[in-house]
Amino acid sequence: MIQNNEKKVLIKGRNLKRYYYRAAETVKALDGIDIDVFAGESLCILGASGSGKTTLINLLSALDAPTEGELFIDGKNVIGLSENQLVDIRRGVIGYVFQKFHLIPTLSVAENVALPLMFLGMPYSDRDIDVILDSVGLLDRRTHKPSELSGGQMQRVAVARALAVKPKVLIADEPTGNLDKQTGDDVFALFLDLVKQQNIGFILTTHNLELAERCDRVIVLEDGKIIS
Amino acid sequence: MNFFKFALKNLIGRPIRTVLTIGGVALAVAVAVSLGGFNQGYKKAIEGSIEQLGFQVMVMAKGCPYEAATLMLKGGTGLLYLPDNAYTQIKEDPDVQAITPIFIGLAEKQNVGIMGDEDEGDGSNAFTIMSGIDLKSFKEMKPWFTFKTGEGYDGGRWFDENATDEIVMGYEVAEYENRKVGDTFYASVTPNGAVEPVMHEFKVVGVLERTGSQDDGSVYIPLKAAQTIFNRPNELTIVGIKLKEFNGIRMREFEGRWLRIPEVQVVSLQQVKGALISLIGTAQIMIAAVAIIAVIVAIIGVINAIMMSVFERMGEIGIMKAVGASRKQVFILIWIETLFLTLIGAIVGCLLAIVGSGAVDTALRYLLNMGVTTDMVDITLPLLVLAVVSAVILGLLAGIWPSLRAANLRPVQAIRSSE
Ligand SMILES: Nc1ncnc2c1ncn2[C@@H]1O[C@H](COP(=O)(O)OP(=O)(O)O)[C@@H](O)[C@H]1O
Ligand SMILES: [Mg+2]
Repeated sequence: MIQNNEKKVLIKGRNLKRYYYRAAETVKALDGIDIDVFAGESLCILGASGSGKTTLINLLSALDAPTEGELFIDGKNVIGLSENQLVDIRRGVIGYVFQKFHLIPTLSVAENVALPLMFLGMPYSDRDIDVILDSVGLLDRRTHKPSELSGGQMQRVAVARALAVKPKVLIADEPTGNLDKQTGDDVFALFLDLVKQQNIGFILTTHNLELAERCDRVIVLEDGKIIS
Repeated sequence: MNFFKFALKNLIGRPIRTVLTIGGVALAVAVAVSLGGFNQGYKKAIEGSIEQLGFQVMVMAKGCPYEAATLMLKGGTGLLYLPDNAYTQIKEDPDVQAITPIFIGLAEKQNVGIMGDEDEGDGSNAFTIMSGIDLKSFKEMKPWFTFKTGEGYDGGRWFDENATDEIVMGYEVAEYENRKVGDTFYASVTPNGAVEPVMHEFKVVGVLERTGSQDDGSVYIPLKAAQTIFNRPNELTIVGIKLKEFNGIRMREFEGRWLRIPEVQVVSLQQVKGALISLIGTAQIMIAAVAIIAVIVAIIGVINAIMMSVFERMGEIGIMKAVGASRKQVFILIWIETLFLTLIGAIVGCLLAIVGSGAVDTALRYLLNMGVTTDMVDITLPLLVLAVVSAVILGLLAGIWPSLRAANLRPVQAIRSSE
């Protein structure tokens, strides 16, 4: 606890378990995870494919619920909440970026960015959207459809969309996994830039050591357990 | 952006699915509106057709009153005759305001134009309705008859009462036979008691203007000439009567007085109407069944279309939820899409029904061949409004289940299942 402010716990997980039940077997995707995520820090979850990174990050972002354990997000207990209640937890607290971008194909870049604002009922102007698009360097693409963009551009739109609601933490699942190395590095640099600027937390998963080294803290996952 | 705009974009972004769904709803609504239009139109149509007869009561040879009804309306076959002294007797009845004797016979048409060509048998089996009428009383009964004018029709007039070779043609026969004033018309008639038909040559002295009734399909000749040609010198097919005061009591009194003539029945057109309407009543059950099936098919179609678009967009819905859409919002969004689909489909369906009502009318008239000539499909504004409102309500009900399915998806599951 160096600085009171920086070390404020935003997400707290204890003995988190997430099992998937398939026909005969039980897949223990997460098997007893203790984790604290502090406000404003960048945390990297490193692990091989299948180690449980996505499963964990989905729990931390309230997109999924644990099978067992305790989980507090922004001070609220998440255990036992219905899908509808989980919406309230993640809204405005978490900005999520998918590995495969997942933009809405029928909407323009600007509309994709505005979508979360519409769902949250937050008033906004075209100007607000432009400011966000400008921050990811895509102002000139505001009317384009996702299909007209490159992978790196799509991921930048996804970041803009995640940041539009001014979340407390930006959560990204292998954000560079579908990008070539150069583009991936650029997008990662943008991520770090933005979270620093806006002073928000950042959690990402990756199997790329290089990226991990640039984060404040690294957790290594293997077979659903934290090994360091 | 708002939910409406977003929903609209979702629909426009998937044009084929959207157009197919709207088409399905439109067809069902069109069928329902057409049948509804028929339902409220056919009574009026029958009334209209009967009014065009000009009389409220008719006297005819004993037989089935329904047959009598259709006979009157389309000049059908199986003609029965009554002695013409019935006419002279009834004429003296104090309640009679107007009365006219009518002789109806069927003549075989001779197609002179292609007589040289023996194989050309097209027109040889066609019949023409020949109405022998008493000019003075007939005109009184149907004062709206006028002659067609224009090139080839000018100078049209009624036949001379004593002529045997003059005819006046109704609008449709003239059109169909391509005859104008001054042309000749050949018809062969098998006289009562004879075996071989006798050919007659007539001169067209006038063509009537369209009345929109069965009268357009008849050829008119003097009563006496008709009786002679058909060799039924003292017989009539019907006597049309207008009473001074027409109501149930008067009608029964009148009926009582004239039923004493043997072989004669007195038929009120009120009864005829009843017979026709009850006949349609049975058809109505079938019509209702068709309408219900159309609507059920449409509901299933809408549920299916929305369902498909929900499944197809599982990932998208998951994403929406991941970026902050609540269950309610997803539900509303999918519901708005359903609303658009059914509303537009219903409006298109109404337009289709209006545009296609002529065709439906022809089809129905053919199926329920009763000689009703005015429009049987009556599409009114309240009917259209009712159709649109019920389509939208049904559509929204149909959208509940898929919308709920979509709304209850866990974002992770949804996104995963789409990958
Ligand atoms: N929905 C699911 N159903 C069943 N098994 C799953 C599901 N999601 C993940 N798994 C399994 O859980 C383990 C961890 O998966 P995941 O969290 O996606 O790993 P990573 O993101 O590190 O590649 C894997 O063995 C995977 O097959
Ligand atoms: Mg993963």
